[in-house]
Amino acid sequence: MVLLTMIVRVADSLPLAASMQEDEQSGRDLQRYQSQAKQLCRKLNEQSPARCTLEAGAMAFHYVIEKGVCYLALCEAGFPKKLAFAYLEDLEGEFSEQYGAKVPSVSRPYSFIEFDTYIQKTKKSYIDSRARRNLGHVNSELHDVQRIMVANIEEVLQRGEALSALDSKASNLSSLSKKYRSDAKYLNTRSTYAKVAIGAVIFITLIVYVRFWWL
Amino acid sequence: TLTGGDSSSTTTGSASPVPNSYESLEGGGYSDLAAPPAGVPAKQAPPFGYNYPTVHPAYQQNPAPKPDPSPSHGGYNPPGYQPYSQPFPSLSELSSALGGLGGVSEQEAETLRPVNLLQERNILPPKRAPPPEPNLSNDLRKVNCSPDTFRCTLTNIPQTQALLNKARLPLGLLLHPFRDLTQLPVITSNTIVRCRSCRTYINPFVSFLDQRRWKCNLCYRVNDVPDEFMYNPVTRSYGEPHKRPEVQNSTVEFIASSDYMLRPPQPAVYLFLLDVSHNAVESGYLNVFCQSLLDNLEKLPGDTRTHIGFVTFDSTVHFYNLQEGLSQPQMLVVSDIDDVFIPTHDSLLVNLKESKELVKDLLNALPGMFTHTRETQSALGPALQAAYKLMSPTGGRVSVFQTQLPTLGAGHLQSREDPNLRSSTKNVLHLGPATDFYKKLALDCSGQQIGVDLFLLSSQYSDLASLACVSKYSAGSVFYYPSFHHVHNPAQTQKFQKDLQRYLTRKIGFEAVMRIRCTKGLSIHTFHGNFFVRSTDLLSLANVNPDSGFAVQMSIEESLADTSLACFQAALLYTSSKGKRRIRVHTLCLPVVSQLSEVFAGADIQAISCLLANMAIDRSISSSLSDARDALVNAVVDCLTAYRANGSNIQPSGLIAPAALRLFPLYVLALLKQKALRTGTSTRLDERVFSMCELKSQPLQQIMRMVHPDLYRIDNMTEQAALHLNDSVIPQPPLLQLTAEKLTREGAFLLDCGSVMYLWVGKGCNETFIRDVLGFQNYASLPSNMTEIPELQTTYSERTRAFISWLLESRTFLPAFHVVKDDASTKTSFFQHLVEDRTESAFSYYEFLLHIQQQMSK
Repeated sequence: MVLLTMIVRVADSLPLAASMQEDEQSGRDLQRYQSQAKQLCRKLNEQSPARCTLEAGAMAFHYVIEKGVCYLALCEAGFPKKLAFAYLEDLEGEFSEQYGAKVPSVSRPYSFIEFDTYIQKTKKSYIDSRARRNLGHVNSELHDVQRIMVANIEEVLQRGEALSALDSKASNLSSLSKKYRSDAKYLNTRSTYAKVAIGAVIFITLIVYVRFWWL
Repeated sequence: TLTGGDSSSTTTGSASPVPNSYESLEGGGYSDLAAPPAGVPAKQAPPFGYNYPTVHPAYQQNPAPKPDPSPSHGGYNPPGYQPYSQPFPSLSELSSALGGLGGVSEQEAETLRPVNLLQERNILPPKRAPPPEPNLSNDLRKVNCSPDTFRCTLTNIPQTQALLNKARLPLGLLLHPFRDLTQLPVITSNTIVRCRSCRTYINPFVSFLDQRRWKCNLCYRVNDVPDEFMYNPVTRSYGEPHKRPEVQNSTVEFIASSDYMLRPPQPAVYLFLLDVSHNAVESGYLNVFCQSLLDNLEKLPGDTRTHIGFVTFDSTVHFYNLQEGLSQPQMLVVSDIDDVFIPTHDSLLVNLKESKELVKDLLNALPGMFTHTRETQSALGPALQAAYKLMSPTGGRVSVFQTQLPTLGAGHLQSREDPNLRSSTKNVLHLGPATDFYKKLALDCSGQQIGVDLFLLSSQYSDLASLACVSKYSAGSVFYYPSFHHVHNPAQTQKFQKDLQRYLTRKIGFEAVMRIRCTKGLSIHTFHGNFFVRSTDLLSLANVNPDSGFAVQMSIEESLADTSLACFQAALLYTSSKGKRRIRVHTLCLPVVSQLSEVFAGADIQAISCLLANMAIDRSISSSLSDARDALVNAVVDCLTAYRANGSNIQPSGLIAPAALRLFPLYVLALLKQKALRTGTSTRLDERVFSMCELKSQPLQQIMRMVHPDLYRIDNMTEQAALHLNDSVIPQPPLLQLTAEKLTREGAFLLDCGSVMYLWVGKGCNETFIRDVLGFQNYASLPSNMTEIPELQTTYSERTRAFISWLLESRTFLPAFHVVKDDASTKTSFFQHLVEDRTESAFSYYEFLLHIQQQMSK
């Protein structure tokens, strides 16, 4: 089963098109996966692997990044990976042909929401067990599917968090060291002042001594 | 253009990066972290209470209202009304241009002029009076929200609740937020600028402290101006934030970013739920409906994603498989109505574009499919449950066509009306629902973004009080066609056709929410209209249509003494039929006053009457009809008593009202004679309930026409004072009072009640009029059931039609039209609208005034 499909511009994670969830039973917890999908899209950038599968409990996210556009599908974990990627490739082909040129210029979210119609149709043909004739060309095209990277969604989402934690620690450290530096400076100046003051007192005493006792 | 995606994510103000409830989408109320602004003292509002105030010494220092030299005027155009003869509201540009000319103080003095109601016979202005102009500086007035969209009962907001209590007038707003607009600035930007603390959208009434900071006009928090806002896309200049369209217009629409979406924008989905029992087939509505839908199939709002589906029902529920590729529609019957299920999931709601031919086939075949049915039962409840299941994955609009009392399955109803009690003067029973089935279903629907509209076409009692709940709580609309029959009742058939035409093609917004914010110190406590209140102040509207109005009641919780302006902002977040998420924002600004006389001067009597009507309907359901009627009378009595107590130097005799409120008793009397609220006159329960639904959900203009229709004499219209628009001459006959006294046998009179128009033709009406306008030789040859004016090529006819079409110009639903002969049996329906006349069970206007005077002296 493909439960959720999203097409997102990688540069700023602007959603371009999506397919609504179909199943009323899974409607409740789909909300959670949907927000995970959104967070995931925010994490993606040019350095992300172009093809990846992310395990999320009983579900799995599969995505393909092509020409700055990410095609993401949420499937049940048992759903054949080959099929999922074939499905995403199929979407990629059609989408980049229809809208590819317009992708960089749009600013409104879901500008190509009408692509939903195609998504729904394609989805139907891929999940329909009777239409396994697709399988033939899937096999031939995606023999390298085994090499697709697999990761865990929590890890991916937390990696960002860990990084940001590190970042905040580092900035803490830097602000602490700054504080230390300024404190040290302050102390230095104070001790300098103290030395000068002592010197001055001695000098004045000396002068007074000389003035009154020697003359 | 690729940047800025991240900066927009800060605009939700919710803690989680992804909002997961609608509450956080539109933004909550005041955040807890925000400290109260320093400018507002912690002064407690004086205690509430409804004691009659004694005259406060301060009021005596007011200049005394100038005494009226001639209390009684003859003719249609008494000199006292001169300042009112402003242009018509439809010429809004003209009126706004002229609005600045009249001196404000003069205007106020005029609205405060005491009027002795008992002596002033001709109290109606010659033209429908425009709403009062708020007393604001010209700059603010120019940008203020149109009164057609946003109106307040008091255009001068009292400073404290104590002052409001003294005036004894209700404080509230009337809104028509999704009205069809010809001009609407649409703004696309990455950051929608809103106050960080109260989430108000930036608007023309905020103040810019300097280039980089603005002060919210609702909570007074100082906010930063984002960089993007410094650039003005209209003039393409930089550094002029106060010239941005958001700050130049009080009605704007924003294209929302993905932060304002919980899920991808839904497609337009339409499901039609059709009654096909014997009764329905007999009435012949199916033919009219199918034909109308066929004609308008291309005009249904939507894009290539639009989905459509049909369900019919009698004692069973029938589904139609319209899957692309089938040679003809396939009917699937589910007879298990106790546990109704969806026979197949993906081919009942189909893409309209792809299955258009099948849809057309079905619509052509439907009227013939059930002609010989013997099924008299109706399983509306199970059909609605099926519709809910079918629609829940996406949301959308369900249109229900029902012709009788539902008799089978969940939600079945019994007849509760006793025909003998239709004209009882005692209490009217069964105004509330008999079962909570429909309300519960509506709430479920609302949760899944499904709006349910109900068309009731029935000749017998169908318990609209219960059925209407399904639309009330799912933000739908209710239509009612009593005694509909395609042959026997042509006027009703025409009305149904016209209404469908509008209904099918009008704009629609999906998965909408609306929030109304107001200046700190004011608080909204009651909402009226069709919606579900999701949290304290968030209205959930599964569907929003351009023809529904809303009302809210407000109280003043904290003194407004520190501010001179009060502002109100309504924000409506919706998904258009093209899958765009948009936010429509209206902002209204009104002055705050400290004197009771100023509160009276700013009273908007039409808005007050509408709000009172809404309150009375609520009261009649929660308490009783007689209670509600008493409350309405008391509203007038209290208000006039308060006015008398305020002006100490007014002569004690007579019934004195300020000019701004001189129509108050008349409008309240008209309300008491409405089908919704009248007693003693025979009224069918369904018609009464429908009238209540209308009062609760129609916009102000429509309610006012319904409550107090416009009467014109049209057989002797001249070109004097006529309007000249686009080469056509539109005569402007004066408004007449609603009394038979104004009718003469020699004339023809047009009565415009909003949803219905009557042309009453007197026995001695001049034959040229009958020949040139109605196309008949003389009065005797006029048929008794004419429902339109023929298009004749005479000046007389052209002038009359020009006038009528000018009246209909800004209306969305065209009224039914009846030509009423003086001797016809239908004339009672015409005469019931003459509210100033006495009936067996109700006061005449003069008697009503005496009644009020008597109540006041108690």
